[in-house]
Amino acid sequence: MSEDTNKTTPSPQRPKAASRLMVGRRQFMAGAGMAVGAAALGVPRARAQSRTEITFASAKFFGKQTVGDVVEMYNQAQSKVHVTYVELPPPSASTEVHQALVQQLARKSGTPDVFTQDVVWIAEFAGAGWALPLDEYFNAEARAAYFPGTVAACTYDGKLTALPWFVDSGMLYYRKDLLETAGAKPPTTWDELVATAKALQEGGKAKFGYLWQGKQAEVLVCDAVEVIASNGGSILSADGKSGTLADAKAVEAIQFLHDTINTHKISPSDVLSWDEEPSRAPFTGGEAAFLRNWSYVYSIAQDPKASQVVDKVGVVPLPHFAGGSSAACLGGYQYGVNAATKNREAAIDFLTWMSSPEIQLHFALQLGIAPTRPAVFDDQKLGAEQPFMKQLKPVFTGATPRPVTPKYAQVTLAIQSGVSRALATGNVKAELEAANQKISSVVGG
Amino acid sequence: MAATARLGEQAGPRKGTGRLASRLTPWLLLLPVAVSLGAVSVYPIFEGLRLSLTNTSLVTQEHDFIGLRNYEALIADPLFWNAWRHTVFFTFVSTLAETLIGLAMALLLFEHFTGRGMIRAAMLVPWAMPTVVTSKMFGWLFDGQYGLVNYLLRSVGLIDQNVNWYGSIDNAMATIIIADVWKTTPFMALLLLAGLQTVPKSLIEAARIDGAGAWSTFWNVRLPLLMPTLLIAGMFRALDAFRVFDLVYVLTGGGPADSTETLSTFSYKILFSTLQFGYGSALSTAMFVTEALIAAGFGYFIMRKMRSAR
Repeated sequence: MSEDTNKTTPSPQRPKAASRLMVGRRQFMAGAGMAVGAAALGVPRARAQSRTEITFASAKFFGKQTVGDVVEMYNQAQSKVHVTYVELPPPSASTEVHQALVQQLARKSGTPDVFTQDVVWIAEFAGAGWALPLDEYFNAEARAAYFPGTVAACTYDGKLTALPWFVDSGMLYYRKDLLETAGAKPPTTWDELVATAKALQEGGKAKFGYLWQGKQAEVLVCDAVEVIASNGGSILSADGKSGTLADAKAVEAIQFLHDTINTHKISPSDVLSWDEEPSRAPFTGGEAAFLRNWSYVYSIAQDPKASQVVDKVGVVPLPHFAGGSSAACLGGYQYGVNAATKNREAAIDFLTWMSSPEIQLHFALQLGIAPTRPAVFDDQKLGAEQPFMKQLKPVFTGATPRPVTPKYAQVTLAIQSGVSRALATGNVKAELEAANQKISSVVGG
Repeated sequence: MAATARLGEQAGPRKGTGRLASRLTPWLLLLPVAVSLGAVSVYPIFEGLRLSLTNTSLVTQEHDFIGLRNYEALIADPLFWNAWRHTVFFTFVSTLAETLIGLAMALLLFEHFTGRGMIRAAMLVPWAMPTVVTSKMFGWLFDGQYGLVNYLLRSVGLIDQNVNWYGSIDNAMATIIIADVWKTTPFMALLLLAGLQTVPKSLIEAARIDGAGAWSTFWNVRLPLLMPTLLIAGMFRALDAFRVFDLVYVLTGGGPADSTETLSTFSYKILFSTLQFGYGSALSTAMFVTEALIAAGFGYFIMRKMRSAR
């Protein structure tokens, strides 16, 4: 990410890259029929000097194409702006991505002009004044085209400081074949889930009723947000200035997670040390009835080499408590514009292009990442090529952000520690009260 | 005598500059090392101390001098003491276990038997493995549902239910210690084996001629002579064990319920996840002080041993 790289314009004339791009572009055009792209084919490429140079930094994502390929599509599609793509580590090395972004943004040098960020950093970057408020460029109407949960996560202190890129969230995987033999429907409440899981476990149909992630890590916060929100509770107060983790609704929700292990016995105590993969393995191995996990599990479940449950897996929104509504912890990366950018117009132009329905569809088809615009899910091409992703529209509609606070990094450590203690010791109320005090002192101070 | 004195007088001034030069030369030769060590070792320590007196945070962009307030917060932070206790406990138990088992291995490998060379080399394999690999391996071995350890214990009837190894507060730390002992005992065995080679054979033979049995030879001849090596190896190991990070980070992430949080994992979270460099530096300084105390403790015994040997 050195300064020099901003100035160098990669030559797209290299034959190999160019031909690959041409194919990619042709496919893309066939799919989306984008008028701008068609125009660009006829227009000779402008000389690099006349273009506004900006940089775009993103964590590494790839499928059939990479993020860099899509950026190059933008460079080809118009002649005013040239974007240099800076690749950060993959999202699995999220601490390093965060560090790299913080270091760059804190220098206020205007580089990178546009970046992508994990949803949980949005408030931090906005609170520090590093993210450009985008309200004037994306009005209420434009914002209404996204899932409400994603826009909520992109809003800090009443201002839109990020723009949704792609979404993932927690969801309930269930075994269609097992539920059929038990004569049960996919559960909509936690009570139904417990009843079905118990019946299947007692009938010897499944070794485990319900698997989730209790390891003292970020994923535990996600699991906690989901049960708490599905009971109408929250972790932070509406103004974000105090904790609400010790309120009756949150305590009841965490008590439920504790009960799945100790009272209902539908989850093994091992979930307390499991994150995503250890909890996924028994499910795709055919030993569990229900699993809470992210969207990546589906393709593994459908892979005959890795799964015993091919074509036996269904997905529904996570259950809720009586009187509550389903909540799915919002994940995914979102766009942001550097407040110190010297090329605001170019950055907004690039952002508008990247977040357009056509490009969201392209990302879904080529990189397998889910659109944040509900309308894109109704596209026929998506339904044909990614039938599973299409099913997720109702799941993402209930996507709920994790606590929105600039001090999220400290808050999450307190939640992880407190909820892990509550689950391991069973002193749910006392441990959540202690954690809540810590959270309040972090966000209040 | 007189001649040399006169010669010395004559050569006086020239010899003086020569003496200065010869006195300077070693310092000049040491300079590159001193500068590079100063830059990579001394400077960071003082910079860390300086940072620990500020509220530096990358996120809030503050960096004001706040005196000892970080240390006041540290002393009042139950999570710090929780991590401190775990680290000291881990260091003590794993070092003790590794020293005892390592000593037994060294004594065995010192004896002559066929295939000794092979076994000596094979012994080092666990130590040569990257710790992250060891961690993943132990993760699978000790898996509560599918782990080999539970399977074996169940097969021989020692347990009738699967043990939740690193997912329960009571077993998690023990599991991490077992993994560390498996990995690092060879290192101790290697150091002690080298120490055993320095015990003169003649002393062992003399003891045998005097009618001492194996046990008595070990207690009265070998062990006292091995003591300095034992102490130095113990110190190396203790200082290294104190920094334990990879095993905890990969296996449990500090959980469940903070029951395996150590100072290294805790300061990593404070420094690199929350980017609170001020508070994190105070934490590192506390680690540094504790390590210095451990080193001083070992150093005291080593010095005493060396003096009494003279």
